[in-house]
Amino acid sequence: MNSHNDYDVYQAIADKVRGGRAIALATIVSAKGSVPRGVGAKMLVDPGEELVGTVGGGCGEGEVIEAAYEVIKTGEPQMVRVDLTEDLLSLSPAVCGGTMEVFVEAISE
Amino acid sequence: MTDAKNAPLTPMEATAEVLDAQEARQPIALIVPVSAPPELVGKRVVVRQAKGGAKGLVGSFGDAGLDEAALALGTKRLGERRTSKEGVHELKSATGPTIQVYVEAHHPHPDLVIVGAGHIAQPMCSVGAAMGFRVIVVDDRPDFATRERFPEADQILKVDFRNPFADVPMHSTSHVVLVTRGHKYDYECLRHLLQTDVEPPYVGMIGSRRRVRAAFSQLQKEVWEKDGVDTEGTARDRLTRVRAPVGLDIGAETPIEIAVAVLAEIILQWRGGTGAPLMDQERILDRFFKDTEDK
Repeated sequence: MNSHNDYDVYQAIADKVRGGRAIALATIVSAKGSVPRGVGAKMLVDPGEELVGTVGGGCGEGEVIEAAYEVIKTGEPQMVRVDLTEDLLSLSPAVCGGTMEVFVEAISE
Repeated sequence: MTDAKNAPLTPMEATAEVLDAQEARQPIALIVPVSAPPELVGKRVVVRQAKGGAKGLVGSFGDAGLDEAALALGTKRLGERRTSKEGVHELKSATGPTIQVYVEAHHPHPDLVIVGAGHIAQPMCSVGAAMGFRVIVVDDRPDFATRERFPEADQILKVDFRNPFADVPMHSTSHVVLVTRGHKYDYECLRHLLQTDVEPPYVGMIGSRRRVRAAFSQLQKEVWEKDGVDTEGTARDRLTRVRAPVGLDIGAETPIEIAVAVLAEIILQWRGGTGAPLMDQERILDRFFKDTEDK
């Protein structure tokens, strides 16, 4: 888990866009049940570079990253619904039992 | 694009507003349409404190009704400290579309003003800084108010306890903890705090029951029984909100434990919790498993 806070993500958006990178921002806009990060948690996806921030580590983050790549290609924002209610007692470290909606959008100058 | 004032902000423009608000230590709310006509989805308007105090909208959805609803929503959200589980809201307008927006509020990192640079102040500074507080440590002893002792502090100030807050920026997010080396200094500082222009949201003073009682009784004599000093009862009213003795009862004994107990009380005040153990509030076993046992 990294410790990026919101402002770090905003700072990274500004830096990357000024640097001409094609990036996508994912934001948890609603959450029900037990989810690893709450509403407002953010992740910046810059293909080929390290992620900035997180929307939940192992819990559903793969789906969000996939959507981010697509959004960067198409420019069309997406709402990704992540369902983590299955496997409540699974032994995976990514044990979460809720659902969340993640707004994914491309950001450019 | 039409009139710039009549257009929403791009994500980049909104990002610049957020960073600027952080720099200026102002609260800001972002409102992002997530389900709306395509030209609005992913655009933003922000609600910020304008010069002079009133909150105003930067950017526009191009519809007076939506803008009014956005301003109301952002202003309401800035008044709350707790992060809401539901970030999506509906904005309605008599003259335009009904849209779904995501709203988020940013508050400037609160300040933690530690008065007294002793052994409790040190862990309080480290843990407070790790929590995101901008920590200001003040003392009248230059040997204690040092960078070596407080590497994480934002500011370390040598002050005169007879007028301790003259050089300390005090605002609506300042959390003040009085932990000086002597109760007479705590008392002096408390007396000044009750009369600052802006009332800090948290004022805590360390001390035993006896010491706190002595301080309060002296305040009574020195502040509001003297004619003209507290005629409106402001200081007395503020005293009812002073946390003394300071901290939550978690049985803290060591300096770092005491620091944690105090910071826990500050989180409670800032976010609006109860301080009670969650297991006692939820009572999962009692509520969900009692029936099955009886059967």
